[in-house]
Amino acid sequence: MTIQKENSSETTPEAQDWTDELERVGFIRSIFLARRWYGADWWFVAISTVMVIIFVIVALLPGLFAPYDPHEIVGSRFLAPGEHPAVPVLIVPVDSPFNSLKDLAVPAGESRPPVGVVQGVPTGGALNELAQVIDDEIKNEPEGLRLRPRINRYPNIEEALQAVADGDDLAAVIQSTEWEGGMAEQFPTLREGQSITGEISSTGGFFMGTNDIGQDVWSRLLWGTRVALFIGFSASIVALVFGVPLGLFAGFLGGPVDRLLSLVMDSLYAFPGLILAIAITAVLGPSVLNVIVAIAVLYIPTYYRIVRGQTLSVKEEIYVEAAQSIGARRAEILWQYIFPNVIPSVAIIFSVNVADAILTGAGLSFLGLGLPPTIADWGIDVARGQRFIQTGWWMITYPGLAIISVVLAFSMMGEGLTEIFNPKLRER
Amino acid sequence: MSPIALIALVIGIPSLLFLIYVFVRGSVGLRRYILTRIVLTLPMVFILATLVFFVMHVLPGDPVSSALGPKGTPEMLARIRTQLGLNDPLIVQYGRFLLDMVTLRFGNSLVLGHRPIIDEMSERFPATLELVVPASILALLIGVLGGTFAASRRKRASDYAWRIYSVFIYSLPIFWLGLMFQLLFSVRLNWLPVSGRIDAALGSNLVRITNLYSLDSLLTGNWPAFFSVLEHLVLPTLTLGLILSGVFVRMTRINVIETLQADYIAAGRARGIRERVLVYGHALKNAMIPVITLIGLQVAILLAGAVLTETVFSWPGMGSYLVQRISTRDYTAVQSVITVFALLVALISLAVDVVYSLVDPRVRY
Repeated sequence: MTIQKENSSETTPEAQDWTDELERVGFIRSIFLARRWYGADWWFVAISTVMVIIFVIVALLPGLFAPYDPHEIVGSRFLAPGEHPAVPVLIVPVDSPFNSLKDLAVPAGESRPPVGVVQGVPTGGALNELAQVIDDEIKNEPEGLRLRPRINRYPNIEEALQAVADGDDLAAVIQSTEWEGGMAEQFPTLREGQSITGEISSTGGFFMGTNDIGQDVWSRLLWGTRVALFIGFSASIVALVFGVPLGLFAGFLGGPVDRLLSLVMDSLYAFPGLILAIAITAVLGPSVLNVIVAIAVLYIPTYYRIVRGQTLSVKEEIYVEAAQSIGARRAEILWQYIFPNVIPSVAIIFSVNVADAILTGAGLSFLGLGLPPTIADWGIDVARGQRFIQTGWWMITYPGLAIISVVLAFSMMGEGLTEIFNPKLRER
Repeated sequence: MSPIALIALVIGIPSLLFLIYVFVRGSVGLRRYILTRIVLTLPMVFILATLVFFVMHVLPGDPVSSALGPKGTPEMLARIRTQLGLNDPLIVQYGRFLLDMVTLRFGNSLVLGHRPIIDEMSERFPATLELVVPASILALLIGVLGGTFAASRRKRASDYAWRIYSVFIYSLPIFWLGLMFQLLFSVRLNWLPVSGRIDAALGSNLVRITNLYSLDSLLTGNWPAFFSVLEHLVLPTLTLGLILSGVFVRMTRINVIETLQADYIAAGRARGIRERVLVYGHALKNAMIPVITLIGLQVAILLAGAVLTETVFSWPGMGSYLVQRISTRDYTAVQSVITVFALLVALISLAVDVVYSLVDPRVRY
């Protein structure tokens, strides 16, 4: 219970010493000294600030940390985290000129090269897909080559390989692990060619697995930071830019303007934000900008209410009255005497709002609204993973954890700041 | 009688009687307060309806052409636009919209058999109610007890533990929590059903009276159906309830802390009243008043959470209806659902304020 001991020792004379000391030391050092006053709350803010800085760096330079492009297909589908990816390789006779799938292309009109695969194993499908991709690539080249292998299916690996050894097939496609696990010795006349997926296949496995089309979950997660933080910050800043001045003016001027604005803002505040955002994005159509607009509209009332309330109470302070009596202009009073008082609350709401906006944005994209489905975004990834909940837990779990850690950083900051700045809660 | 009317009667008649009782027996100040509050609800409903109208009719984007898709011929488009009155001047559309929404004439769905929207809602609304009520109760239990406990041990380890709980819960995406529950309890352990309200076989022979399945199965003594309903309710309720409880813990804690600093608590302490009695008896009772109002304001979180929870668990309530109709571009349905949500928010905040004024005699105009 060290925390309590520190608190009980903070009697008035000592606290006085601290304030004196704070005035002597610089700003940075005073932040560190503040730890003695605020105990765990200081740590809340400190840890979350470090987390936020890390997230901002990742959001600015995701390419530096991500091993792959978030949109590129880098491996087989549904690879579990760390699972050794099955690499389908081409097996050819030792003296064969063919090395990769592309070498099997022949001029249009010639007979299709026979390739053996094992029945009931996904390599056959993969072979077809990849051959199609390569075929589309080379189709328009001047050589006029086409790649349309004739696929022969065999009941087991031995028969498939035997067909190649006998010269019935030009090549066979099996998993590299199967070749290395005994087949190489059994068929000395054959050799291993390249993997049919070409350069992109990784043998090290994927830290967080791959998704339903074979993209790297970890890379998508890192790139998703950018969209999440962009939406969170922009929406909160837009809301702040509208909400704070409105709250200041309404609180300062009072009268019918204040009453009308407050009625509108209170109604907006009471309305379920996500539902309004759903409606707005559904009408405007999917784009990052529309999501920001939809979320910003929701948070204007939050700033408005707090700033207005504070303005109302500060307006009655003696020093404002004093400023009025020495003839300060109204704009001056508003800017120099009232505005500085609302800054701490605005800072708290801002950090909570960023957290909220990220959550709402993720909710919107989970529902399939808001963001275009091609963007690497956590909500979209979770929604995609939901369809494969029986096979791939990692596709749902990791993007969700990413949302939590970012939101947690911002809301922890808000929580700590509230406790530090809210004088109502300070112990007597 | 449609289920929605039944539920409206069950909730509406007692609250009306209660209101009349309060009016007859209450003081002049109370009467004036409640009247003012009711009058103030009208502009709120009006503003929210205007907002819905603005979003659905004034923002760019043509709902009809997107509803028809590429199949729609220009003639069809023009016919439906005239039918819906979309060619009239905006101000005429606005007036008609307000009138329709206030009298609950929602019209027919644009897609899927063109059913009256009110019929679809009367099937959907009880489902949402069945989810939202137990979730709120769960959240209240956790929130009030946890928050008070944390406040009574301010700045001690258990206080920090509860605060971290509330911040952590607040940071959970509700849809993700639901999916994690599904992964653990349905996919891995196979204890509970993944989605839906009731087993399909049991659902087909359940007699529907109110469309609240738990109530219907109880009324007809259909025990297998009742247990199936409970089984399906566990995960969605847990998801929504836990998420809500984070906010409740936080609010209760702050309010109890404020109350614990009051002079009468210090006086009680000086007289030797036990700390537990002070916290759970004296302080909590007074702190509950602002807490209830604040909780009343969380209807927004509750409804937004319901939309996501229903989507995750394929729960056929209002929220999943909204999402489903947005994807089929059925804009009359979308606009009606949002209006109903707005009405709900306004009515609940009115109810909370009235109850508040009854409990706390300081609240008067």
